[in-house]
Formats: sequence, structure tokens, C-alpha cells
Amino acid sequence: MHIHKYEKWWLVFGTGTLIVFLLIIGVSAFHAGTHPNNSKWTINYEKVNEIAPFDNPGVHKVEGKDWDYEVVLVASAFSYNPMEIEIPVGSTVRFIATTTDVVHGFEVAGTNINMMLEPGYVSEKITTVDKVGEYTVVCNEYCGTGHAMMYSTLKVVDSDDNSSH
Amino acid sequence: MSNQKKSDDNLKGTLYATFGIGIVIIVVWALCFNLFIDRF
Repeated sequence: MHIHKYEKWWLVFGTGTLIVFLLIIGVSAFHAGTHPNNSKWTINYEKVNEIAPFDNPGVHKVEGKDWDYEVVLVASAFSYNPMEIEIPVGSTVRFIATTTDVVHGFEVAGTNINMMLEPGYVSEKITTVDKVGEYTVVCNEYCGTGHAMMYSTLKVVDSDDNSSH
Repeated sequence: MSNQKKSDDNLKGTLYATFGIGIVIIVVWALCFNLFIDRF
């Protein structure tokens, strides 16, 4: 079969582009872990406050794991517990969150942390906080009349100024 | 103009269109992808 040289060029260009795009998506999904929550961790949403680890929300330093801190967070209409999260810069953090009532969002504005919190499910995200700053955590799923007032703060602080941790 | 010349011109036009549109798509895609780079 004879294929003209121009046709060969654009076939190579088109196929090559497709392969590159698919590779980037594949690496993002399977290596960088960019994917929706796996929904494998379920919880009785009516008893969230009695079930570990959600019976003790907050920032917890952990040892012997792939991450340095665990942030246990409970969302409910129309607030987050804890209201403020403080973590030393450079730490690897595992965010574990759920909701006690309706669907809420957990978006750390200006970062790639963005989880949907569904009743009965636990959402988690592991990331390394590598930039000092104060980030607003917002609910980005409409949850009721107080939705616009539902926010929290993530403070990534310089380790030197954070001797209490 | 011979049929061969016409055919070559058509193929060349398709080539330019493919590359032109393709490059625009790649640039837009890269700019969008860049929004998610270097953020934790």
C-alpha cells in the first residue's frame, strides 16, 4: 500500500499526540494518584463522632508511616472540625475526612486538594505541603443555607517557628 | 494543473491544517495542565 509522505507525517503526528496525552493521563492517575476517592472505606454517618479516628478530630503526628501527620476532619452543616489546621512546611500529610449529614466539599483553595465528602464514606488524600502559607478550606458542594459560610483554614508554617509540634 | 499537482496541494493543505489545529490543541492543553503543576 502506498501512503503519501504528507499523510505519513500527519498520521505520525496525530498518533504520537494521542499516545503522549494517554501517557500523561496514565502517569497522573496511576503514579501521581490523581483519581476520585475509591469509596472502599465506609462509615456509619450517624455515629461518626463515636467511631475512630473521627472521635478525635484534629492534627495528629504519626510515626512509622509514609506520612508525618494525619489530619482527621469532620464536616457537618455548616462547619469543619477542626476549624484550623496547622502543619509544618515539608510534611507529608494524610487528610482523612467524612461528613455527619449531607454532601460537603473539602477544597484547599489554590492547591490540588479537592475532595467530595459523602455521608457514609471516608475520603482521603496524601500530599506533601511544601509551601508556607495560609490556605482557605472551602466547601464546594452546595450543602444548605449556610454553605457560603462554611470554611476552615490550613496554615502551613515554617518548622522553626513551630516548636510546639 | 495536473491531477497529480492538485492531489499534492490537497495533501499539503490537510497537513498544514492538521499540524496547525493540533499545535493549538496541544498548547491549550499544556496551559490547562500547567494550572495543576507545582501545587500540593
